Amino acid sequence: MADIVLHKFDAHFDENNQEICITGSMRPQRAEDLEMLARLFEKSLRSIKGTLYVNLKRLVRLNNIAFRVLAGLIVKACGERPDLRVSIITSSVVGWSTRKFATLRAINKNILVEEYDNEFYPGQAFVENNEIISLLRTQTKMTWRHERNILGRHGIREGMAVADICCGIGDFAVLLQKEFKPSRLVALDHSKASLAYARNVANDFGIQGIEYIYGDASEMLLEENQFDFVTCRHALQIFDRPELILRELFRICKPGGRVYVTNEKNSHCLGEPRGESIQWTYNEVAKILAHFNQDIEIGPKSRRLLLDAGFDEVRMESFMVTNLDGDPQDFADIIESWKKLFVGNMTALRNDDPAFVERFRRGFDDHIFAALHPKGYAGWPIWVASARKPL
Amino acid sequence: MATRGGEQKTTRRLWRRHLRSVDPLPEDQPMNTSTIGTIFEPLFSIDIDIEVYASNWAYCDRLSSYAARMVSHNRIDSLLYSNLFSSALNELLETVFRAHGAGGSFVCSVSRMANTDRIELTIPCKAEQAQFYFDAVRRLSRPDVTEQYHSALFAEGALDPDIGLFELAVDYDASIRLEALDENTVHLTVDLVLEEAQA
Repeated sequence: MADIVLHKFDAHFDENNQEICITGSMRPQRAEDLEMLARLFEKSLRSIKGTLYVNLKRLVRLNNIAFRVLAGLIVKACGERPDLRVSIITSSVVGWSTRKFATLRAINKNILVEEYDNEFYPGQAFVENNEIISLLRTQTKMTWRHERNILGRHGIREGMAVADICCGIGDFAVLLQKEFKPSRLVALDHSKASLAYARNVANDFGIQGIEYIYGDASEMLLEENQFDFVTCRHALQIFDRPELILRELFRICKPGGRVYVTNEKNSHCLGEPRGESIQWTYNEVAKILAHFNQDIEIGPKSRRLLLDAGFDEVRMESFMVTNLDGDPQDFADIIESWKKLFVGNMTALRNDDPAFVERFRRGFDDHIFAALHPKGYAGWPIWVASARKPL
Repeated sequence: MATRGGEQKTTRRLWRRHLRSVDPLPEDQPMNTSTIGTIFEPLFSIDIDIEVYASNWAYCDRLSSYAARMVSHNRIDSLLYSNLFSSALNELLETVFRAHGAGGSFVCSVSRMANTDRIELTIPCKAEQAQFYFDAVRRLSRPDVTEQYHSALFAEGALDPDIGLFELAVDYDASIRLEALDENTVHLTVDLVLEEAQA
């Protein structure tokens, strides 16, 4: 099973964010064991105006002794400073913390308890729609034809401890399980709907041994240095701060292990005939996603991102999913789903004018036309990068 | 840091030396799959001298963390389950740490039926400690148990030693029963449902 991150706690104050952040495990025998916490609160409160944030997202364990100390400090702060609001940030991933700290709301109305969940993922709403599941399955089917051969070049071997972070509907994890027989396979995602689907598929197919875990890829509760091979596919491109995820991928990877990421550069999608219309639309796709803080052009930037995150020995390559990979209708189905997603949802949210929407839609239709044309060619390029966590 | 690490190693050695038994389900006796969901199947049992157990507070955390790892691997969400199970068991173990008799075996067993996990604690007790457990369990059945729990949580002075039992009854909706095995031993049974059955 997945392990817990820390056996001791750490508490520090970030003046810029007016935030006291407590992580790890706090199970003292005596209240006096937490005197440093009282000093930290006292010191922090001197410089705070308005709202104090108490970040408990990664406080995994807390006994009642520690709870009472912490709750007492928060209540005391609000009692002594009526101008102060305290916002306690919990995480549903931890399980017990929201319920426990919610009791403080009744004691002082200036204490708020906020469960951190979807804010980190601006694109989450777009990918939780059940309609998109068939799209994701088709995409994985088409990319797997390439990746099953590529993965070996990036260091995956049978019997490794593997994590698939941002696993979505879990189909890639199932393929990994079948092809590479890892000694352990953890698949983590922040979408409960996707995980429920993943567990059902694994059940239906009699796949055992995949640990599907609900969690935030930017603040995972997995222990550090656990995995030989960590995959994160098509995910950095839909987060506004991919460096936070890379930091976590680095943390959970063993020294000497490798992290494997795949990303797109959507403006490089192509097709013939009607290439000009297709190219215009995909350039606009990149712009529309940028509007929603997603960098769908991140593929070729992967090398820099991995090096900046502290990795070395970067290996990088690209491949093109095309209409010639198996049934051209599969490719057309993917584009049809993209059309629904981008034209149907995102242009409406951005309030685009009808003329733009029409031209935007036409590019997708032309891409489908190219894919199904008997002499046509349609492509979707993907960049693969992996890197080693230094020993 | 070196000192702390050294202490941890020593503690670990002591823990292993004094454990009388740790019994996960033996590999040559696989779980009878025909009975899954109809009876409580044993997952593991730990038997330790109560005085050794009560010699080090860290054992509460260590035992609850170990047990949580053991029982969570095949749950719907192993990490979430482990967090919840460890929190619940730790409160029970801290209660035993504070209220027990001198001498005898402390046994902690976990078994499972469908999505219910049963924690059973056999606790050496003299009359005074046994009375503490019986009084606490009796209070749990009162209709104002939630108010009592919150009141105890924020009361001035020392923390009520039965606070963990209240937390399990209120926050975890645990079913808690107690019986006296003999005049020196009580047996606490706690049934927990920490996740819904998988669809």
